[in-house]
Amino acid sequence: MSKSLKRNLVAYGLVLPAFLVVMLTVAYPIVLAVIQSFQDSKTGAFTLDNYAYFFTEPAQLKNILYTLYVCLMTVAIAIVVAYLLALYLRFVRSRIAKTIGTLYLVPRFVPAMCAVYAMITIIRDSGLINRIGLIFGHDVKLGLMYHASGMIMMNLWFNIPFAALMITAGLGAIPDSIIEGARDVGAGKFKVFTSMILPLSIKDVVVAGTFVFMSNVGSFTTPYLMGGSAPKMLGIALFDQFNKYLAYNRSAALSVIMFLICSVSAGVYIYTNLKENEWEK
Amino acid sequence: MKRRLFAMLLSAVMLTALLTGCGGKDSGSGGSSSGDSGSGEPKKAVSLWATGSDNVREIFEALVSDFNTNSEYAGQYEVTLQFMLSGTGAQTLADMLSAASKAGQTNTDYDIVDLSGDDLSKLVSLIGQEQFVKLDSAKIPNAASVEAKSSIADGYCQPYRGTTVILAYDSAKVPTPPATMDELVEWMKNNPGRFAYNTPGTGGAGDSFARSSVYNFLPEEAFTSDDEKWTGEWDEGFNFLKEIHPYMYASGGSIVYPNKNQGTLDLLNQGEIDMCPNWADMVLSQRASGEIKDSIKITQIEPALTGSLQSLVIPTFGSNTEGAYAFMNYMLSPAAQELMVKQMAAIPLIDASTMDMTGYEDLQGLDVSNFRLQSIGGLSTSFNERWDNEIATIG
Repeated sequence: MSKSLKRNLVAYGLVLPAFLVVMLTVAYPIVLAVIQSFQDSKTGAFTLDNYAYFFTEPAQLKNILYTLYVCLMTVAIAIVVAYLLALYLRFVRSRIAKTIGTLYLVPRFVPAMCAVYAMITIIRDSGLINRIGLIFGHDVKLGLMYHASGMIMMNLWFNIPFAALMITAGLGAIPDSIIEGARDVGAGKFKVFTSMILPLSIKDVVVAGTFVFMSNVGSFTTPYLMGGSAPKMLGIALFDQFNKYLAYNRSAALSVIMFLICSVSAGVYIYTNLKENEWEK
Repeated sequence: MKRRLFAMLLSAVMLTALLTGCGGKDSGSGGSSSGDSGSGEPKKAVSLWATGSDNVREIFEALVSDFNTNSEYAGQYEVTLQFMLSGTGAQTLADMLSAASKAGQTNTDYDIVDLSGDDLSKLVSLIGQEQFVKLDSAKIPNAASVEAKSSIADGYCQPYRGTTVILAYDSAKVPTPPATMDELVEWMKNNPGRFAYNTPGTGGAGDSFARSSVYNFLPEEAFTSDDEKWTGEWDEGFNFLKEIHPYMYASGGSIVYPNKNQGTLDLLNQGEIDMCPNWADMVLSQRASGEIKDSIKITQIEPALTGSLQSLVIPTFGSNTEGAYAFMNYMLSPAAQELMVKQMAAIPLIDASTMDMTGYEDLQGLDVSNFRLQSIGGLSTSFNERWDNEIATIG
């Protein structure tokens, strides 16, 4: 056995367990699901009906649009807030900034279920805010429960810290010397931001955005506890198809649709990464 | 180098074997009896199988330990509980039993099994009631005073507790609750936004309310039939659900049907609604533990919301019939019944006058012999789908 062959074998041996796990638990079921999504539930014959159902049934079409709306709103607000927070943490040196810097990750460590219930007890129409309002004689009904805005709010709780973490890491990699250099040649604060900081951190912003988007497309806990009866987020719609209607072929089709929605986002992520490689050459 | 390479390849091979091995593992057969049933001595070990939520596990653990240590059978039999938390196993208890039966297994440790009305009807249609021991009433003396009869497999199963969906209401806001469905509808219309039922398919209370509403327009026999022909007669009922839709609980500007039984009960407890259908045991046990307000009371309307009987069966392929009979008889003893009332607000099936019902007096008003049972089998799937598409989407 030649030395290089041995080395290769060792390498493959190391990769093999992980590879097999992924093949068996991820790739194999995906392939099965894709095949199933094109099969008729009774005859097993090839059909596009499972997909057509989600784009022709008005309730299902609304679910898809609703999910996109909730996800895109979450991404937009989370990224803007996280970016501002990250800028603050990166460039302001004060005790408050330091404290926020250590505290902003706390929401990540609160179990999702607890956080959702905590939010519900505060914002529901008979919740904390309503009770405080009653003390002052105002019957405050926020109407956030069972509504898209309540869910978006909850998503922000989970996603702002996550996005801020990614963007802060990106901003941290920008050397002070670049900014000082720009200042020295007379650039104002705005100019430094638009031509230095923004271009250097935009990649992290996009990446954070794609991650936030993907994690929300299939979310379940928040929409299940806080969402209304209709329209539904796709995670719930999938649960209905699978557990309530026992429509396995349609469930497979919806899974593929969700996968495709996520892969648009994944595409953006890969494109952003490749672009940087180009620039680094 | 060579040795390390070998070790790595070996571990990879072992991992593969482990992964593939798992897939082929024989699960769910329940295994064969571990006791020595061949000898003349009566077998001591009795395996009790049950499934449900965690509160069911707790009550069974209490009952089993009481049976093993305090009952008249203490020392004679030793019951062990095999509990399957609902929603966690790939195979349900009913599936496991039907698999064991169809595989022709005998002498298994499925000695006595606790089944809900739904699971019982599912099992009977899968394997037939003859797979259960035809019960000898002489061996269950405590059952003599039980009036409740199972609508399916009567004689092959022993009902031991009941539960039913009722109307839960806040007595501080509704001093005189409606007594009939018509009165309820009138109340809804006079108090828009103060009633809610949970999305069917997310909890039995919502299922019961929606289905009763629809099936009130159908002949009584439809209530226990899974014949496809009945789906064609749902229209009138669904129109009724559409008619009451605008008077349901609303949040954020649109009508909302919360998920799960607890969803509506929370709204009731928070004072966002004044009335909702819910399980009698759920409401009463939460009230007893102080999780919900004392002013929340229960009442039944006419025609009644659906209930079900929980029963015990002795599979013929079990291995300790005598022990199973002993436990069955124990479950109908005043001590066991009182324990179930206290711990899970179960509706007792024996005469409650000798029991201490403090805190659960509401249960005495519920007449088990008047239980409205429902089993529409596979039709529930299309029912839920139609509800989701027609009612939930009105907005």
